[in-house]
Amino acid sequence: MAAPLELSCWGGGWGLPSVHSESLVVMAYAKFSGAPLKVNVIDNTWRGSRGDVPILTTEDNIVSQPAKILNFLRKQKYNADYELSARQGADTLAYIALLEEKLLPAVLHTFWVENDNYFTVTKPWFASRIPFPLSLILPGRMSKGALNRILLTRGEPPLYHLQEVEAQIYRDAKECLNLLSHRLGTSQFFFGDMPSTLDAYVFGFLAPLYKVRFPKVQLQEHLKQLSNLCRFCDDILNSYFRHSLGGKLAPLQLSFICVEYLHILLGLYKQNSLLIEEVCALSLNAGL
Amino acid sequence: MSLVAEAFVSQIAAAEPWPENATLYQQLKGEQILLSDNAASLAVQAFLQMCNLPIKVVCRANAEYMSPSGKVPFIHVGNQVVSELGPIVQFVKAKGHSLSDGLDEVQKAEMKAYMELVNNMLLTAELYLQWCDEATVGEITHARYGSPYPWPLNHILAYQKQWEVRRKMKAIGWGKKTLDQVLEDVDQCCQALSQRLGTQPYFFNKQPTELDALVFGHLYTILTTQLTSDELSEKVKNYSNLLAFCRRIEQHYFEDRGKGCLPQHGLPRGAMSAPRI
Repeated sequence: MAAPLELSCWGGGWGLPSVHSESLVVMAYAKFSGAPLKVNVIDNTWRGSRGDVPILTTEDNIVSQPAKILNFLRKQKYNADYELSARQGADTLAYIALLEEKLLPAVLHTFWVENDNYFTVTKPWFASRIPFPLSLILPGRMSKGALNRILLTRGEPPLYHLQEVEAQIYRDAKECLNLLSHRLGTSQFFFGDMPSTLDAYVFGFLAPLYKVRFPKVQLQEHLKQLSNLCRFCDDILNSYFRHSLGGKLAPLQLSFICVEYLHILLGLYKQNSLLIEEVCALSLNAGL
Repeated sequence: MSLVAEAFVSQIAAAEPWPENATLYQQLKGEQILLSDNAASLAVQAFLQMCNLPIKVVCRANAEYMSPSGKVPFIHVGNQVVSELGPIVQFVKAKGHSLSDGLDEVQKAEMKAYMELVNNMLLTAELYLQWCDEATVGEITHARYGSPYPWPLNHILAYQKQWEVRRKMKAIGWGKKTLDQVLEDVDQCCQALSQRLGTQPYFFNKQPTELDALVFGHLYTILTTQLTSDELSEKVKNYSNLLAFCRRIEQHYFEDRGKGCLPQHGLPRGAMSAPRI
């Protein structure tokens, strides 16, 4: 517990601490269980590895894959499932399996296979965080890996064409979202008032789908209709990830205030009263 | 299949009642069928018994190739062929028989989640054990899988299937797992099922559902199949309520009805018919 825990993961955007589902699952779990994680965001220097992200590094161990990292954190006494009953623990396992079988193929498809999304959003984003010349190779490889996984697990006969597989996986994903929505109901988290492993997994899978701006958005539109799931994601973002985001906005806020003072000094106060109102509104929002 | 095709099939399915001569096809019981296929077949048989629908089991060496989706078992009802438990449940529902109608939305979500858990962990573990564990592959799987075919076809088909399964394992991240890790996962899955079942007779209290059929199919097969080692069945035997559950379904739905189509002493390994030259 005294040893520092470092997590290497993909960075954030669109209001999220990370756009990569698995990294987000680990970050959310760490927040829920109070584990002190030092997050190292992968950038386009050659520092750190990019395979098998997220990776947790301690003094003597290197752990990859979310399930193993969560197990490791639990063994270090950072346990978010402490208050769950045995049956709720069993339910957690079952719902995680449901997410991986029904929702994950469609999420992978939306991010990595759908051409419009991949070429306009995903590939540029990941390529900007990978050093040249790896940035030419790695996104393509990740995309092929995603397609492979979808076809091998779902693309069996009689679904010979990718279009038919697509229809099937989106249908399954929408059904899965509906099931999650029914299960969540009106409560704040899946098991009462405290967040647990299942909340981390659902948040990790849903939040990127909810927040990232894609050209082709059929699954996102379906998710937005399920207001309790959207409220669930927003609640977690506001309660647990606000400070890391506030840190990013502070310099922006500061620069706006400097501009405002400059305008006052130059005597442009009256003409720019509208600008000042906007700046105040921005500052208030950023400060909340 | 597409939405339109599915609606069409449901329409046709709803039109006719369940015939007397419905048949279920699987591979040859004594020499060919493997652990995972046997589990799937037993799950479907249990489900149909629970719905009180008569079915005749027919064993064919090329059942896998006859199936529309390449998976066994499949049922031939009237002039329609449906394979795998999920679509069969839908098909039977279209005919007006359903085991899960009495469940509310939250319970249905739970049922689906647990069925995915069994598919995700138990079925994948069975596939891993059959095709990725060298000892089992060499001693049992290759011999059984290719047994109806002459040399060299038996080897070629077995290697082809093994390559396919290993590719899939690698894609879902199970390629690097060791046997011990896989057995750990099986243990976790059984623990979750045992905790969910608790002291109830079935997973959703008094009435069995398709989840009970699926769990029975897998657990019974694991318990009664002889493999190179007993580790897999030992994991299941640790949970007494699961053993009682299997026994209860076996007695109620198979022995009492005089069907006797369950393997009594497990699938014999080793002794297979001499290869035809």
